[in-house]
Parts: sequence; structure tokens; C-alpha cells
Amino acid sequence: MADPAVGSPRTESAIRVDATSKSFERGVRAVDAVDLEVGAGEFFTLLGPSGCGKTTLLRLLAGLEQPDSGRITIGGQVMDGVPPHRRSVNTVFQSYALFPHRNVRRNIGFGLEMRGIDAGEIDERTQRMAELIGIDGLLDREVAQLSGGQRQRVALARALINEPDVLLLDEPLSALDADLRGRLQLELKRLQRRLGMTFVFVTHDQEEAMVMSDRMAVLDAGRIVQVGTPDAIYEAPAALFVARFMGHQNFVPIHARDATGVETPLGRLEGAFGAGDHLLLRPETIRLDDEAQTVPNCFEATVEERLYRGETTEYRLACGGLRLLASRANRGQPEHRVGETIRVGVSPHGTATVSD
Amino acid sequence: MSGLRRDTRYLLATTAPGVFFIVVFLVLPSAYLVAMAFLSNGPYGLPTAPLTLDAFRELAGFGFLGWSPGNLYTLIRSVWQSLLATAIVIVIAYPAAYYISRQPVRWRAVMLLAVVVPSWTNQVIRSVGWMNIFAPDTVVSDLAVRVGLTEPQMGLFPSQFAVIVGLVYNFLPFMVLPLYAAFERLDTEQVEAARDLFASPVAVFRHAVFPQTLPGLMAGTVLVAIPAFGMYVVTELLGGGKATMIGNLVARQFVQASNWPLGAAGAIIMIVVTLIGLKVLRDLGRRVGGDREVLL
Amino acid sequence: MTGRSLALALRGFWYLLLVFLYAPLAVVVFYSFNAINSSARFAGFSLTWYEQLFSNDAIIGALLNTVALALTSSLIAIVIGGMLGYGFYRYRLRRLSWLIWLIYLPMVMPDIIFGIAEMIFFIAIDERLGILGPGLGTMIIAHVTFQVPFVALLVNARLLALDPQLFEASQDLYASPWQRARFFLLPVLSPAIVSSFLLALTLSIDDFVISFFTAGPESTTLPIYIWSAIKKGVTPEVNAIATLMIGSVFFMALISLVVQRRPSASSTTNRSASS
Repeated sequence: MADPAVGSPRTESAIRVDATSKSFERGVRAVDAVDLEVGAGEFFTLLGPSGCGKTTLLRLLAGLEQPDSGRITIGGQVMDGVPPHRRSVNTVFQSYALFPHRNVRRNIGFGLEMRGIDAGEIDERTQRMAELIGIDGLLDREVAQLSGGQRQRVALARALINEPDVLLLDEPLSALDADLRGRLQLELKRLQRRLGMTFVFVTHDQEEAMVMSDRMAVLDAGRIVQVGTPDAIYEAPAALFVARFMGHQNFVPIHARDATGVETPLGRLEGAFGAGDHLLLRPETIRLDDEAQTVPNCFEATVEERLYRGETTEYRLACGGLRLLASRANRGQPEHRVGETIRVGVSPHGTATVSD
Repeated sequence: MSGLRRDTRYLLATTAPGVFFIVVFLVLPSAYLVAMAFLSNGPYGLPTAPLTLDAFRELAGFGFLGWSPGNLYTLIRSVWQSLLATAIVIVIAYPAAYYISRQPVRWRAVMLLAVVVPSWTNQVIRSVGWMNIFAPDTVVSDLAVRVGLTEPQMGLFPSQFAVIVGLVYNFLPFMVLPLYAAFERLDTEQVEAARDLFASPVAVFRHAVFPQTLPGLMAGTVLVAIPAFGMYVVTELLGGGKATMIGNLVARQFVQASNWPLGAAGAIIMIVVTLIGLKVLRDLGRRVGGDREVLL
Repeated sequence: MTGRSLALALRGFWYLLLVFLYAPLAVVVFYSFNAINSSARFAGFSLTWYEQLFSNDAIIGALLNTVALALTSSLIAIVIGGMLGYGFYRYRLRRLSWLIWLIYLPMVMPDIIFGIAEMIFFIAIDERLGILGPGLGTMIIAHVTFQVPFVALLVNARLLALDPQLFEASQDLYASPWQRARFFLLPVLSPAIVSSFLLALTLSIDDFVISFFTAGPESTTLPIYIWSAIKKGVTPEVNAIATLMIGSVFFMALISLVVQRRPSASSTTNRSASS
């Protein structure tokens, strides 16, 4: 189970969301009685499938939507009825939303211009911000001339230059190709650490969330299902939904349990397992062949598919009416063909359980 | 919420002036015109009190001397002339739009502009142009005399022919533009697929090209046939008595004859026929366009 | 027919079409320089008709009326129509579809009925209240009424083509409602506003019927002047006046070509799917 200590921020909070709900016209509760606390300087991610309410929650923080009930506090100030242009919060939009009638320089300076900062200071801060983000060569380009990655950086600079209390990022990397995306994930993370700014990041990609976040919240149907560090959530998901969403694939139902083990479709498994009604077998913890002998529970399975992935090989196994996915680091062990029967071992150590 | 009421205020502030103009200066006047059709024609041509259907009876052709079909003919002629002009416009615009769509991109805008610019000049001036061309003893009229189309010294107008030419000239751009848009969006893979599947050029056109241009064709038909039906200037300047359309009949009741209720009744008929035309074309558009919404 | 000969035939057809489109205008321009009042025989180049035209106060008055009518109505129409187009966009989620029909109404209404309805309405108001007597004022009102829907639709189309997140970005970046209008909406809409102004001008200049029925004795425009000259059978300067109007239209066409060719900041490439 999740340690309650990791459910709250380590430092003073930058954002507090109390019992906040938001419904839309058709009566769908996009955000349903959400409580949340984000610490100052934290990289916090809202993770969930599309339609889970993560973007709506972000928009509530930005002030682009007003909550039906509840209270949002940012930087110690209650945000009731405060319009977006009076909040010390900036957003990097999913589409980047760069102004087509302004070049890069004038896009980045927009927020400062609106706040009446004088032109000289805007110029100087724009230059510094552009250097920080690595786009100082692009300042006089038109928006239409930029690539996707460049737009993303301009959008980031345009938000960061205002030095907001909180930076909101709405799936800012989803429009980029995988390679660029990976690089920008790292850059964004480094930048956040360097600035010590609070980032609230929205994504539907659990790998991205795990790589980047200090802590994250998993949302489903407008509710927060679990809050914690990436490893806590991955290793001890609080619900079957979270486990599935975090990429777990092997769920073994527990039919009965006693002091020394549990009854499952795979047979009886010895050891002290958690209290949930499903075992969560992580593919990399399933032992094959000789290694299977080294753990307490060993049974036989048939290879249905073999997927060679370079560093690892994945075996899709059929066993006791279940399908299991096992993944093994390639270190020159004998390979198995489809249709072969092999030995499989499961250790209680590092095997979590989960309830619906 | 207080934001909601501010929203409503903004909504009113932005839309009210425009809505005010259309309601006060178009909807109200139209309602007034419609109401007038049910009044009697007074001594000075101005409508007076007793509510009657006399105007409609008179419009249908019942007068002191019994029934005369003149007005009915005018209505039929209006529909016929606008349909004929639309058909000719389609025959001219279809290849033109295709040709433009096959040109290099930088030329297309110029070519489209070349098609549209004449329609930016005033309707009266466009008709004056044709009056110059169709006047007696011009090159065109002489040619027409030689092939026996008209008598010497007569010229080619006023005539139904001149009216049709005038209508085609007026409305051609409104057909070329939507057809061009259709050709520009043409999915050439469908054409290639048809070729690949052994279709002859005629079959390619019939099955892969024409269906794709139908929405443009329907949109153009609405933009041509509907205003052609209501035409006033071209018929007045280029047409004689044999080419009069319902717009002229209505206007005459207000300009010369001073029988406002009769004119108003004619206006109602025009509006009704226009609406029926729109509905028919829209339904037709839906049927040929499948699930694609063709217009409006 | 082979592809080659089809292409040739199409090209020939295109040139014929150009002749058809421009012959009536060319004839008008050509005979406006004719020494005699005829469109059958050219008796030598002369500026007679232009001299007569510019010494005729009625024509000069009509010219000024035409320009005043077109400019005033177009300016009013882009303000009112622009606001309407924006209101429609901003509140598109509300049930406003009935308003759309109100916008389409002036576009589908036959000119002649439009003009007559306004004429009898203005006369009735004038009789009872003594205001809105026929003249330049009523013509401006009538023109604005048919220009507004076109402007509203153009502005609305431009707004719909924009990334909706741009509106939120401007809010998010500290722009107050007034600053959003000044620094975001107006600059982003300026191409649409320019083209709807040009369209409104064209509509106004192209119109004869509605002007004719809403005009007063003092507010004759050039098309109305030409019309009554033809009706009276007195046509000497008609070709010259028409040539001036054709010239101004070609000038506007040139402007619009330049506006179109200008590398515009109107890109919508910034758009992308949003959740």
C-alpha cells in the first residue's frame, strides 16, 4: 500500500485544491471533489487517460474555468473568481498557441508587455530567457517558420519569462516525435530543477510521467485515485486501474489465502503476499528455466509468442488458463521457441497485490 | 454566478447592433410589405383599410374582363429563364473551373480574380455593356442579321436572348468559384484508382470526378438560380415585354402602376417561390451529396 | 480526344471566356472615347463625353454620393458586422442558431423585395414621425443592412480558423479584456477586416436595386443617374461615367491582388488538435 507520507508534499504548498468540483453542461463531472496539495518547487504530474479530468483540473488552476464548488489556493492566495490575467500562473498550451501575428521575440514578451513593463527591460529579459532555453537565434523568426520543437521552446519561454508562482504544462510534448520528445523531457526536468519553480504537468503517458515527476497524481473519471512518487505508484498501485494504467499486464486472481500462501489459477503459491485480491507479477520478476528453481514457487508454462527486443526478450506464456508476460535480460541464455514448455518461477519478494 | 451575467452583457453588446439593423431594417419592413398584400388598393394607389384577398385574386389574373394568364406566364417565365440561365452557366463554368484548377498555383488566384472582377462593376453598367454590343448595326448585330437571327436595323435587344445573355454574364462567377473549390479539393487518388481499375476516360469522369464536384455544383446552382429568379435590372434594360420576370411585375406596382397591395402580393409569391427553390435545391443537394452537407 | 488536344481545347475555351467576360466592359470603355454618340461606328478619338461629364454638376453630385455611400456604409458595416461575427464566435456554444437565419435572410432575400420593403417602410416612418425621409441616410441604412451579414460571416470564419487556445493564451499572459481586444483580436483579425471592408465596398458599388428604391431626389448615385438617363433615352455620357466606375473597380481589384500577395501573418499552421 501507498505510504501516506508520500501523499503530501515535503515542503510548504504552492497549490492547495480543496473539495473542488466542476461539471459541464451534459452533467459530466469532469472534476469530482478533488483534494490536492503541490509543494513549492515540485515537479508534479497529473496522469490519466483522456477524459479523466486532468486537463480540466489544470484549467481550473489557470483560471480558464471556474469551479462549481470547492476552493483553490495558489501561493497562499484564494483564487475564488480571480480571472486568468490576474493569477501568477502561466500555461504552456498543448497546441503552443503562439500568436500568429507576432514574431518569436514579441510572443515571448507578450506577458511582460501586458503588465506594463518597459520596453528596455522586456528586451533584456527576452534575450536572457531565449539564451536559457536555447532559442536566441530564433528571436526574429515568424512563428510560421518554426519547427514543432522550436515552437514548444518558444511557448515555454513565453510562459517562464513571467516568473510565475506555478507553471502549468498541458501535454506540451504530445505533438512531437519520440526522439525529440525524449530529449525535451530531460531538458524540461533539468530546467525545472535549475529554476526551482513549481511545475504542474499533464500527460497521458505513464513513462513520461515517471521519468519527469517528483510526485504524481493518477486520475480516473474526475477523481484522484492515487498520489505519490513514481516508484511508489508503480510498485504499489492502489487500484487495478492504476496498475493497468502504469503498464502492468500480469494480474493473477487470488481465490483463497491462508497463513502460508495463496490459491491461484497458476496453482498454490507459497509466501507472504499482500492483502489485495490480485497478484501483480512484474514481467522482469518472473524467472525462467534454471533460475525458476531458485524461487519458492515453480510451475510450467507454454511459450505462445517470443518478441526479441534487443536488451530483453519478452515471452508471452500460457499457464493455468492465464496469459503472462515475462521479460528477461539477454545474457546469452538458451532461447525458447513458440510451443515449447518451460519452467517459470514466482517469488513473493517484490510481488505486490492490488484490489479493484 | 456573476461571470455569467457579465457574459450576457458582452453577448448583447456585440450582437445587438447587427441584430438591430437586420430586424428593424429588414424583418420589420418585410413584415409590413407582407401585411400590405391583405389590404385594399385605395384611390391614390395607396393601401387602405378593409382586409381582403383582392390583391391575390388580381395577381392570379382575375380582373374586370375575366381571367387572363399574363401574370401566371410571367411567373412561369421567371422560373424558366432562371433555370435556362443556370444550365448555360453550368456548361460554361464547369470546364472553366476545371481549367483554372489545373494551372500553376500562382496563376490560379489571378485567373479567379479575372473571372470575378467584371461582377464587381455595377449591374447597370454590365447591362449597358451588352446594350452597346447588341445595339443595331454593331459587329455582333450585323453577324446576327447575316445568319438570320434578327432583322436589319433591329439590334439584338430588347429580347429574351439578350436577357439570358445578361443573366449568364451576371451570375457566371458564382458558379465558377464553388466549382473551382470542388476541383481544387478533388481527391486525385480516386481518379487514379478508377484508372487502375480499367475505367475509360468517360467512366473515370462519371464515377470518380463528377460525384466529387457535385457539392460545388449544387452550391453554385443555389447562388445562380435563386438570385436570377429575382432579377430586375437585366430584364428591365435588356428585355422587352416578352422577357419580363416577376421582379419587374412587382416593381411596376410600386413605381408606375401604384397598386401597392398587388405588388406586395407578388412579393409574397416571390418569397414563397424562392424558399421553395432553396428547399428543393437543399434536399437535392443532400441526396446527391450523401452525408455531406452541401449548403447552409 | 487525346489529353493534349483536350488541354488545347480548354485553353481556347478559356480565352473565349475572357472575351465574353471583358467584351461588354471593353466596349463601354472604347465607345466612351468615341467622337459621336454611337456604339456602332467609331468616328475618331475624343474626350467630348468626359468634358461634358465633368462640367455636369448633377453627375459630379452623383459621383460624390456614390463614394460617400460606399465609404460610410462600409465603415459602419465593418464595425457592426465585425462585432456580430465576434459575438457569434465567442458565444457559439449558446443556442444561437436562430440568429444564423437572421444573418442569412438579407443574403437570400431578392434585391427587389429588399429594396421595396425598405422603401415603403421608410415612407411610412417618415409620414408618421418625420424621420428617415428618403435620402443618403436611408440608403446608408439599407446598404449597412445587406453588408453586415457578409462582414459577420467573414470575421466569424477567420475566428473559427484560429486555434481556440490563442484566446486562452492571451488571458493567461495577463492581458485584460481591453488589452485582449487591442493586442490580440484586432491584429489577428486585421486581414479579415480589410477583406470584409473591400467586400462591403464592392457590394455597395455593385448595388443598384436597393439604392434605387431607398434613394431620395437629392441622393442620386452614378448607377441611378445612368439608369434614369437610359430610361429617358438620353445617353451621351453614360459610357464615360461607366468607364470611370469600371476604372475604379479595376483599381480595387489591383489592391486586393496586392493584399492577397502580401506575405500575410494569417497562418493557421499554429493550429493543432486539442483534447
